Amino acid sequence: MEEKPFKALAKSSGHRGSGKSSPHDIRNLWTTATLSQPKLNVPLPTVREDSELEGSSVGGKTRWSYNQKAGHDSDGGWEESDDGEDKDNFKPEELDEHALMELEMRRGSSLGGPLEEDDSKTDSEKPSSVSSLNISKHTPHRAYWVEQQSRLPLPLTELMENEALEILTKALRSRQHL
Amino acid sequence: MKLKQGSFLWYLYLDKLYCLLSVRNVKALVQYFHLLDVHRKKTLNDVLFYHFLHHVTDLKRNQITIVFNMLDWNAVGEIGFDQFYMLVCILLAQENHLEEQFIFRHSRPVFELLDLDGELKIGPSNFHMYNFLFNIKKQQLRDLYHDFDITGDCRLNYKEFKLFTIFSMDKYQESQKAVKEEKESSAQK
Repeated sequence: MEEKPFKALAKSSGHRGSGKSSPHDIRNLWTTATLSQPKLNVPLPTVREDSELEGSSVGGKTRWSYNQKAGHDSDGGWEESDDGEDKDNFKPEELDEHALMELEMRRGSSLGGPLEEDDSKTDSEKPSSVSSLNISKHTPHRAYWVEQQSRLPLPLTELMENEALEILTKALRSRQHL
Repeated sequence: MKLKQGSFLWYLYLDKLYCLLSVRNVKALVQYFHLLDVHRKKTLNDVLFYHFLHHVTDLKRNQITIVFNMLDWNAVGEIGFDQFYMLVCILLAQENHLEEQFIFRHSRPVFELLDLDGELKIGPSNFHMYNFLFNIKKQQLRDLYHDFDITGDCRLNYKEFKLFTIFSMDKYQESQKAVKEEKESSAQK
């Protein structure tokens, strides 16, 4: 599943040939990469929380809280933290995505089948197209965020690798001493 | 037995009801096992297993050997992921004080692990041997044989063992309830 977005990235960079590096370029590429993917039943609030997770730095604002062993009732483990402020901060970016999506919808034919179907809608079907636009505004990111959800947080991955390395080093040394 | 604080396993957790790892935790564990499986045989040999347990727990050498022999149920000298997963669940159950619940939920696999000889009966020596893993206290053991050894042969078959797990689970839930009530009454005061 990781290969598809990267392939799409390569393709779309070829199509666009844009030398501009704006913060929305990556979002554009993800949009085109995942437009053809089926809608995933991921609740939007969790998707938004994860988007902030992905955006935050590892050392700084780590959203993954290692809430451990506070007692019998604690679930422990790496958990997502629910930060209400992040949802508010997300809104301006949402609007920009909306505008970008509209542009892409108008480009239409160069991007393939699903968009062509959307382009063929008449004026009388505008309300439904707007609603589908609202849905598709979130849909392109779902696959990306679902994939990110299934990954381990980076600090935990590093911990796992370092620990495995230590264990293997000790095992090797013990074999060398024999 | 205690898990080393800050180790990778320390960050995993069991589902409290079923005493198993969630899919996400299992995925993480698979990655971890894959890293340790340096020979790419999908198994850990005794050396790797020893160093793994020695690194993440405070178990002694002889205890680690006992655990290895317990899990190597095919006697091939290597531990596969199934056995590794079982071990991690046992370690996490003990770390989170869920031994009674774990034994209740997984009485059959635990019985089969304790039944080293394959005689379908377990004696006090079996429990003593693995006391550091399942944390069954001496008094509990005495009660166990006194109350549940229905056949009277000083050994428990699976049905007797299952009765014991149900009983100890009830006892555990009652104690949890009592603790909760105490907390509530002290909070009200």
